[in-house]
Amino acid sequence: MNNKRASCRVSHSRRRGQPVERDFRQHHNQGVWREVQEERRQESIPRGVCLSMCPIRELQDREAQNLLHRFEVLSGTERERWPRADPSGVVKEYARPAAGKDSTRPSDLRPPAVLLKTVFYLVDNIAASPTLRPWTEVYDFVFDRLRSVRQDMIIQRVSGADCVAVLERTVRFLIYASYRLCGEPLRLYDPRINDTHLQESLSWLLECYTSGKHPNQEEFQALGLLYNLGSSRATQHTMELPERIRSSPVMHLALSVSRAFMERNPVRLLRLAHSLDFLQSCALHRHLETCRRDLLLIYSHGHSSKNCRFPLHKLAHILALDVPLTNQLCQAHGVEVRGDYVVFSKTSFTEPEAGKLQCAHFHDLVDRKQRDLTVGSIIHGCT
Amino acid sequence: MAHITINQYLQQVYEAIDNHEGSFCAELLSFKHPHVANPRLQLASPEEKCQQVLEVPYDEMVAAHLRCTYAVSNHDFVEAYKCQTLVVQYPFGISGDYFGYIFSSLPIPEGFDDCRMIFQAEQQLLRKGKGKLGDMLEKAAEQLMGCFRVCASDNRAGIDDSKKWGMLFLINQLFKIYFKINKLHLCKPLIRAIDSSNLKDDYSMAQRVTYKYYVGRKAMFDSDYKPAEEYLSFSFQHCHRSSQRNKRMILIYLLPVKMLLGHMPNHQLLRKYDLMQFADVTKAVSEGNLLLLNEALAKHETFFIRCGIFLILEKLKIITYRNLFKKVYQLLKTHQLPLDAFLVALKMMQVEEVDIDEVQCILANLICEGHIKGYISHQHQKLVVSKANPFPLLSSSS
Repeated sequence: MNNKRASCRVSHSRRRGQPVERDFRQHHNQGVWREVQEERRQESIPRGVCLSMCPIRELQDREAQNLLHRFEVLSGTERERWPRADPSGVVKEYARPAAGKDSTRPSDLRPPAVLLKTVFYLVDNIAASPTLRPWTEVYDFVFDRLRSVRQDMIIQRVSGADCVAVLERTVRFLIYASYRLCGEPLRLYDPRINDTHLQESLSWLLECYTSGKHPNQEEFQALGLLYNLGSSRATQHTMELPERIRSSPVMHLALSVSRAFMERNPVRLLRLAHSLDFLQSCALHRHLETCRRDLLLIYSHGHSSKNCRFPLHKLAHILALDVPLTNQLCQAHGVEVRGDYVVFSKTSFTEPEAGKLQCAHFHDLVDRKQRDLTVGSIIHGCT
Repeated sequence: MAHITINQYLQQVYEAIDNHEGSFCAELLSFKHPHVANPRLQLASPEEKCQQVLEVPYDEMVAAHLRCTYAVSNHDFVEAYKCQTLVVQYPFGISGDYFGYIFSSLPIPEGFDDCRMIFQAEQQLLRKGKGKLGDMLEKAAEQLMGCFRVCASDNRAGIDDSKKWGMLFLINQLFKIYFKINKLHLCKPLIRAIDSSNLKDDYSMAQRVTYKYYVGRKAMFDSDYKPAEEYLSFSFQHCHRSSQRNKRMILIYLLPVKMLLGHMPNHQLLRKYDLMQFADVTKAVSEGNLLLLNEALAKHETFFIRCGIFLILEKLKIITYRNLFKKVYQLLKTHQLPLDAFLVALKMMQVEEVDIDEVQCILANLICEGHIKGYISHQHQKLVVSKANPFPLLSSSS
């Protein structure tokens, strides 16, 4: 009956031939459109059934096409023309979603328990391996395979504790990598790509924290704040966290560091930085360059006088660097060093030439915290 | 309006369309009009009735609107939002001069009425545990952007009929959403669009006040305090006297900006607008009393964080240091001030863990920012200040 009416109406309308509208009207008149849509959405969330780290189909394909990664090859067969796959070592790789390719086949998707198992394998057997070298290659492999894990999670709409366990390790890994590979040539490691994925994973993780209880939340809120030091968005987000999280010791320290940065008090910031643990220092380390530059700028203006004699060793102490490095830093910023003294002058301060200073040379503040921490314990968070 | 029957209502709509009475038609589809309270119009399935009286696509537009009133009466804001969305989409499908009459007077925004409905829908979804925060708002924003693009690209009609008049209203609604979902960077292209428009000073004052309020807040967020002060001051001065609530909202953002530029509000103003939370902050900053400032910020922390001004108020610390150190200078009456004196002052304010190195840093920062004229002599552990005006006025050095 509704159909008949619909076709009658069209002949009077000024808008002929609008099929979409006609269907729309029919569904509306039936009034069940919304319910049907909802049901369809529920049914269509894919559920993975692949119980190994890599779907069989992909393993066979890659083996046949000689596309296995060096770490996935059965030991002893590496030099053969067609190296054999090591079933306990092949991990599903990341593949860009493409038209015509069905990424939702259950046999190709790994359920949350397997995803977590995969992450553990990647951390314990690859990232933390004392023998696999160079670490840039280790990083590439783990980075890619973790990306594939996240992809499986997105497709299956994984959430809750499983999701959090995977993301926490991902974030720790990427933060650690941002420090360890700092200074590597661009063709081997791109800090910007690392940053993009780190921010995405961190945002997703913080999103997960908004529901349910998570014991490591304070740790990651603090890491997020330190990594994004100076960002109004990150700071505002932190301010809006519940009081009990903000007042935890780890957050209190991170907030103090953040405050020191916002108030442009690098002396205080560097002093507080001594109290951060290794991973927190890794998160903070890329801001240290700005921090030290701020200090030299402020002091250039504040101490600017012709009789200025500021002890070099004192400056080194405040900058948390040794004397030779302090010397180097001063020179790069146009700050004059005369023997054991620094002569600050507001007119001589200059920004260093791009690329002149290598962050990696100034890592001591972070380095000395690593001591006997293993890579595994850093990423799993058992420090 | 509250007593007419559905047929009478539909007849009115039909006549309005037929006689090209755009504004009356707009009222009949608006949520600000009393007809929405009429239970006879709150129907779950009004499609048949509408089809009997009205032509395509008006029958569907009105049917969606009536379903919306039904949903609102049942407090189902999610449904209501979906229906109003439909209402808004229809005029875009229509092209031609016939439409021009309706559209130019609607304007489209009437269907969105203050976004209150959207926010309520959002709250409901969250309470039911469905959907992420911001999902509904983002969709609404997309809709509004669509409307906005149509308005902005309208080059056909003469200036009186132009859809460009709808632009500022839509932008204000978009600002509201972007601020709520914390995606302020999306405001930039909209601001650019208005800046380059030749209609910008001809929109209604109400719209311009709202616009400047949001642009001022964005400038604050970007730490551009001088422009922020201009925009927010304009907004405050031109906001209608009777809109006390709006004036208060503007003040909440104007006050921190003014304080950063060295202008403290007086108590009368704070009392008039019920903003005594700022009283202690103001007192602390002007006296250089760091202890009181920290206490005041802690006491009203929740309020300041909710308004998003906590971080800006923390920046007042630098001004407070400046005022405190100025007092030290005035007390010691010399141009060569021992650094120790400042350390003592800070310790009196119970600043934790501060040592002489930090004192040097704070002083150096103040000199760098132009709040103090002078230099530090490390060898003599003294701050040597200029004999002429060592503590310039804050408004000149910011």
